[in-house]
Amino acid sequence: MSARYLPLLTIAIAVLTLAEPAFAHEQAGVAGGLASGLLHPLTGIDHLIAMVAVGIWGAQLGAPAIWVLPITFPLVMAFGGVLGVMRIPLPMPEAVIALSAFVLGAAVAVRLRVPFAAAAVVVGVFAIFHGHAHGAELPSAANPLAYGVGFVVATGLLHLCGIAIGTLSRWPAGERLIQGLGAAIAALGGYFLALSLGAVA
Amino acid sequence: MRRPIGLSWVAAAALLASAESADAHIVASRLGDFYAGALHPLTDLQDLIPWAALGLLAGSLGAGKGRWLVLVFPLGLLAGLVLGLAFGVGSGGPVAEAGMIVTLGLLLATEMRIPTAFLGVIAFGLALMRGAANWGGVVPETNGLLFAAGLAVAGYAAITLVMGLTLAFGGADAGPPIAWRRIAIRALGSWIAAIGLMMGGFALSS
Repeated sequence: MSARYLPLLTIAIAVLTLAEPAFAHEQAGVAGGLASGLLHPLTGIDHLIAMVAVGIWGAQLGAPAIWVLPITFPLVMAFGGVLGVMRIPLPMPEAVIALSAFVLGAAVAVRLRVPFAAAAVVVGVFAIFHGHAHGAELPSAANPLAYGVGFVVATGLLHLCGIAIGTLSRWPAGERLIQGLGAAIAALGGYFLALSLGAVA
Repeated sequence: MRRPIGLSWVAAAALLASAESADAHIVASRLGDFYAGALHPLTDLQDLIPWAALGLLAGSLGAGKGRWLVLVFPLGLLAGLVLGLAFGVGSGGPVAEAGMIVTLGLLLATEMRIPTAFLGVIAFGLALMRGAANWGGVVPETNGLLFAAGLAVAGYAAITLVMGLTLAFGGADAGPPIAWRRIAIRALGSWIAAIGLMMGGFALSS
């Protein structure tokens, strides 16, 4: 072997001996539970659009909805989560979750003004179904506590995202944009509702 | 002689890319048990969540009420650890732990103005539970005194920092009230209560 390859060989040996295993998809323990909890509301598009719509509607309704909503929603959702954890079934969960996206999107699109108590009841009922879907996955998570932290935080941040979008309603053009977004959410919700009822293949 | 500059760069880059941290102060030597005591709770969500919740609650109630926790909480941790070591007392079980998280979260979410004595009782109760639970980190080879010192220092630091940050962010002593900051703290409380509620359900179902 030529001497000019000696440094190259030395480097190759050094790199090989210093090599460490690559953990590209480490989904165990706390990190795994947290990641799956954070991603669960984000990867289900029906959950995602409904949660954003809740935030936007709250912002449209103004006080007290805009601040009562982020405080009470997680608690009501947690009741649904407990039902899911305990494997207590709810009727047609997928259809009701899709319905929530349709109803909340439509409420944003038409800028629906209802008494706060009525809005709270509507959102509360839907929150139980969303919580149930997330909670049902909790016992099988890599770390149930971390999963719970992840999905509560993700849901809260989605609300925050919706509230931030909702602040655009201060401007007429922003209001139209929000109403268009609401219509898109309602259309998607309607599609998911039709899917869950078997109306479309 | 012409230096193989390209190869030197490759060698340097390869060595840099495969560099590891230098463990200059190995925790397993000398004061290692102190670090073990300090890190044991800080690497467990079952400690981190209620500790943070307690710090938030104390901060939201104001420095006048919260300052007692700087002393009460570490002492409670020590008492719990001693109870665990001496009598094998546990944390009270996952349902009690979840109940404590729900209580702290609800107090934060509802912004209830509780008396200082009640806050102290809650803090001492939580510290007793978590101190006893951290007993699980003590093995026969562990120096109990160093472990306890580490645990107490971690408790003191965590509660003081979270309480101070909460006070600065939007607590009762933070000057002119900024509405959204108080709401953010309350929302955080509801997140904590929601997590506790689900953990309670999980504990009851398993």
